[in-house]
Amino acid sequence: MRTGDFKQTYGELVTLVDSPPVWLWSAVLVAGLIAAPFVLNSYALSFLMIILITVVGTLGLNILTGYTGLISLGHVGFLVTGAYAYAVLVSKYQMHPLVGFLGAGVVPALASLIVGAPSLRLKGLYLAITTLAFSFIINTVILEARWLTNGARGISVQRPEIFGFSFDSDAAFTYLCLGFAVLTLFATLNIRRSRAGRAFVAIRDNDTAARVMGINLHAYKLFAFVTSAFITGLAGALYGIYLSFVSVEGFPFLLSIEALAILIVGGLGSALGAVLGTILIVLLPEATRFVFSLFSAQIDAVFTTGAQELKSMLYGLVIILFLRFQPRGLVGAWHDIRRMWVNWPLRY
Amino acid sequence: MTALLSVQNLSKRFGGLQAVADVSLDATAGEICSVIGPNGAGKTTLFNMISGVLRPSGGRILFDGVDLATVSPSRFAAIGIGRTFQNLALFKHGTVVENILTGRHTHLRSNVLDAVIFFGRTRREEIEARQRVEHIIEFLEIEHIRDAIVGTLSYGQQKRVELARALACEPKLLLLDEMVSGMNQEETEDIARFVLDIRDDLGITVLMIEHEMRIVMDISDRVHVLNFGRKIAEGTPAEVRRDPAVTEAYLGGHRAEALAKVGA
Repeated sequence: MRTGDFKQTYGELVTLVDSPPVWLWSAVLVAGLIAAPFVLNSYALSFLMIILITVVGTLGLNILTGYTGLISLGHVGFLVTGAYAYAVLVSKYQMHPLVGFLGAGVVPALASLIVGAPSLRLKGLYLAITTLAFSFIINTVILEARWLTNGARGISVQRPEIFGFSFDSDAAFTYLCLGFAVLTLFATLNIRRSRAGRAFVAIRDNDTAARVMGINLHAYKLFAFVTSAFITGLAGALYGIYLSFVSVEGFPFLLSIEALAILIVGGLGSALGAVLGTILIVLLPEATRFVFSLFSAQIDAVFTTGAQELKSMLYGLVIILFLRFQPRGLVGAWHDIRRMWVNWPLRY
Repeated sequence: MTALLSVQNLSKRFGGLQAVADVSLDATAGEICSVIGPNGAGKTTLFNMISGVLRPSGGRILFDGVDLATVSPSRFAAIGIGRTFQNLALFKHGTVVENILTGRHTHLRSNVLDAVIFFGRTRREEIEARQRVEHIIEFLEIEHIRDAIVGTLSYGQQKRVELARALACEPKLLLLDEMVSGMNQEETEDIARFVLDIRDDLGITVLMIEHEMRIVMDISDRVHVLNFGRKIAEGTPAEVRRDPAVTEAYLGGHRAEALAKVGA
């Protein structure tokens, strides 16, 4: 049983992680992820890429929905805007990929100011509907602006080469995604432990009290929208590169639902939850398929033909089960396990 | 002595209901003032107007010589008005420390971009804020619950955390809305002691709404009495206690007359 947790300076009180074992295990995890491309086959590696890209996107949504409590059903709109910004800048105008990534963040951030403006007055379901409408409007805008986006034909995207280093191979592209995921995770955790993050959470928990504390509600709701859209846009660019082709069909509305499912399953308002939720939700359809294929080859065939429909059903089922049995999500379960382990064999 | 807060002919109307009508009161710097009155007298509405939650329908509020109508409500904390709420308004998913840190908001400068990097100035600022918070925690004697999630604490403890959060704003004027309601004798005495210390050690002017007459009579320098949105009396605790209008408001006309007859 661990006892004592002593701090000698105030600096130690504001550190990101105050426990050496957590740093150690995180380092082991990153080392494992770096080694992964040499071990995994290309099919398994594609799942790893999807997980890393989805982590970036859900961390983005987490800032808006998890921290600030503003529900967005339209995050796929930011995803597709980011992907198109990258594709147009890099594939069409041959700009540097880093400029492309910058654009993939900035363009959705600007778009978020338009969607964010109503959020200053709308709450809950009304805001959810507004953001939902935004994601459909964005699709129409992209399809109509043929001179810029090639309309329904889409834009093909090459894997980038940055400063002479080519991210063309699967392994290299996995590292690029890993880099983005790690940086986003640090950025989110840092926001959460500083003034801006506390302001977001204050707005979520009690907006009247937040205002009395001197938090400018309008400004901070817009900050949350902009930050969230910036990060989500980056995930969109990565997803576009992964698909090697950016089109409106590549970003179905289901992605918005998937992102919300991830947050609920992981535990709302927690960066760790977003990561755990992503792993579960991305691997869930595959795991289900595997389990059923043990029993019958026909069910396996159903999974291949009706993949999208089955995915939606699975997400719905998982959300209901988690809300009923583990409303604090995977991260809540993790906290319970950890507490039990620390005190074992005593009860508390 | 000049008035830190001067409320002049303040009114608030909700549709057909006149919640506050033509109320004037002054709070002198360094005083503990109480606002008392029966339920529905308009006390909390008055507080909501002073703290920027509601806009007055008429009259004006001068704070430190500034007309509050010219100040954006989100700046009220920055110019020195802190408050607690009648029904707890804490950020209940956060820890005690996080809640109090949120109170430091107007004293910090870092924006979202600084936060992402969390280095140099931002880190120094966070350390300094944390240091201040630890002082407040020590002042209010809540060291043992500093890392607890606020939602899991008892009502009395949560009230104390809310007081800590208001103190973290470093206000010049502290508005306390029914601080001791639902507290037992011991907790009430603790709060009375803290309020006196807040005035004496921290030099903060206190304006409090209170139903608990013992604390009002014991520690207030001045008492203002509201009834049906109007001010009916003002004075030292002893003066207010003798005022027939106050007895009538609290006990009703017949009882007051009866009491006067028997010479009570």
